[in-house]
Amino acid sequence: MKIFLTDGTTTGFYTAVFDSYRENGAVITSRKNMQLAFDTEIVNVAADAEKATRVRNKLDKLDRYAAGDVDLALRSDDSLKEQTSFEYIKLIVKSGRAVRRQLSVPAVIEMSEIIGRVTGELHKMKGFLRFMETESGALYAPYAPDNDITDLIAPHFKARFGQQRFAVHDVKRKKAALCDGKTWFMAEVGDADIYISEYEKIFEDLWRKYYVSVNIGERPHEKQMKGYMPVRYWKFLPEKNGFYDDKT
Amino acid sequence: MLDADTLSILTESAKYDVSCSSSGSKRANGKGGLGNASVGGICHSFTPDGRCISLLKILMSNECVYDCAYCPNRLSSNVKRASITPDEICNLTINFYKRNYIEGLFLSSAVSGSPNRTMELLTETAIKLRKQYNFNGYIHIKGIPHADEALALKAARYADRMSYNIELPSERSLKLLAPQKTKDSLVSPMKRLRAAILCDRENAARRGALLPAGQTTQMIIGASPESDGQILRLTEYLYRHMGLKRVYYSSYIPVVRSPLLPSVPAGLLREHRLYQADWLIRFYGFDVNELCGEGENLDTDLDPKCAWALKNMHLFPVEINSAPPEMLLRVPGIGAKGAYKITEARRFCRLDFDNLSKMHIVLKRAKHFITCKGKFYGAEGNAARAALLIAGRSDSGECNQQLSLFSDRENAVSALTGEL
Repeated sequence: MKIFLTDGTTTGFYTAVFDSYRENGAVITSRKNMQLAFDTEIVNVAADAEKATRVRNKLDKLDRYAAGDVDLALRSDDSLKEQTSFEYIKLIVKSGRAVRRQLSVPAVIEMSEIIGRVTGELHKMKGFLRFMETESGALYAPYAPDNDITDLIAPHFKARFGQQRFAVHDVKRKKAALCDGKTWFMAEVGDADIYISEYEKIFEDLWRKYYVSVNIGERPHEKQMKGYMPVRYWKFLPEKNGFYDDKT
Repeated sequence: MLDADTLSILTESAKYDVSCSSSGSKRANGKGGLGNASVGGICHSFTPDGRCISLLKILMSNECVYDCAYCPNRLSSNVKRASITPDEICNLTINFYKRNYIEGLFLSSAVSGSPNRTMELLTETAIKLRKQYNFNGYIHIKGIPHADEALALKAARYADRMSYNIELPSERSLKLLAPQKTKDSLVSPMKRLRAAILCDRENAARRGALLPAGQTTQMIIGASPESDGQILRLTEYLYRHMGLKRVYYSSYIPVVRSPLLPSVPAGLLREHRLYQADWLIRFYGFDVNELCGEGENLDTDLDPKCAWALKNMHLFPVEINSAPPEMLLRVPGIGAKGAYKITEARRFCRLDFDNLSKMHIVLKRAKHFITCKGKFYGAEGNAARAALLIAGRSDSGECNQQLSLFSDRENAVSALTGEL
């Protein structure tokens, strides 16, 4: 069995698809710490724009939305994301057309589940992201999503905030979407030095007060709350956990 | 600046309003403005009671001239009173919105002073928020009964959604428990707004300018003796003839002691069953007569679709590979998503039970009502089926505990008859 190890980029993935397509039982992954079987051979794939383009062109011809599906799936934190996308591409090539409506085929089910988890988190984060106002009047939102969704979530806030300057910072992947009030762009940001406005604490406290007051104590249902709002997201929610309590 | 105690008082007073949805409007942001509306709605947080926070739900004032028996803010109640100004509300909304705490504002008020004065204040706040603060997020405004209808129409031009709460499911109960509100004062403005919305939608030039997310309403369940059948008939009328987007049910909680009111809560299970039936009426093509007789209550052991299916076994089992979509929707355990998956998948290959479980179609209930390639794995006979369905119920637990307290119908009846 051959394992094709990519660098985790989209180009790297399409290159691996190109290289491994004729191999029987080939596996594509970007995970470094895979369990290896006795007869495994590891092939390091160097991202090659030309090979990737050839795969993309073929794919686009068969199903012009497939590359979009793959793009979403590769944002996932699922360890099988490359392999699942690979199986999905193989099925499209074999069928010679789009397969996303064949909802009983395992490759399609797995692909749509991975995509569903990415878009699901994207939607949830539109609600759970929390901005803080900085001294200069910009808004800053740190978060740590499971999937790599920062450049997908930025347009949503760009549309809302108009000329407001803001930053959405994925502290796990050390990248951020920055907006200067006109356009937004992605940047690598490690640790950010943020000077929070003096009013921030006031509104955060008001929000906590609101959160406590709007609850109906006679109808407890914590299980449902945690189902909709997983505990791993609480770290960045002022109403559940003061993110910078110790600093003020 | 608004202080925390005022916010607390006015939120505590507003929290029994169930509606917190921010869906149905796709208002765009304007130049130099803040905010837009997301058509699917966005939940921003969840409270320990399991409800979502989407809007800043707040009263302008809880000083009320009305004396509705069930209401914690009624005139004769001994609660802390507070009120805030339109500017304070606008400021709070903008600052919460910027931090992405909320999707918009749900503004309501007790009737302080006169209904007209109250409605004017609500309208003034909405206009201020839109024009002065340039806010394009979601605004839901509560209609004040007995206020001038022209005021309601004015507010409708700036709000995304409006709601008049009909409070109780019959005119008789309304007269008893909320004597200052009349059926006419609630239904007539709803009708007026409905007509205005229809006119607005027909006029293509400015489509969606008026209440893009329509109207909703809310009623209290279990404070008065109406049966589920009566409630659902009213619900169906509100959806089909008044064009309402949602009817909310609020299970009665005794926050107020009154000889007119039952002293025990109505239980969450009844509310849950009503919502299930409500969904069947709106999205599954069910008619209220199929679900519940006029004077009957919904089955507590079985969900309304299961109960209906068991009464109509001559229609089942249906073959998954050939049943029309509207029949798939009527199979217990198969919802809109499941029916869609099945109709799509079966265009490419014939499905068996293994396919269905891989597609995450839940077969626990469905297996008694379907065949796959002619095979049937359900229980034989109605009694066996019902027993299995009840035993395998997923919504036991918390709801069940409430069941022992539930059904205070007789108490409520005696309260009514004792008074009238």
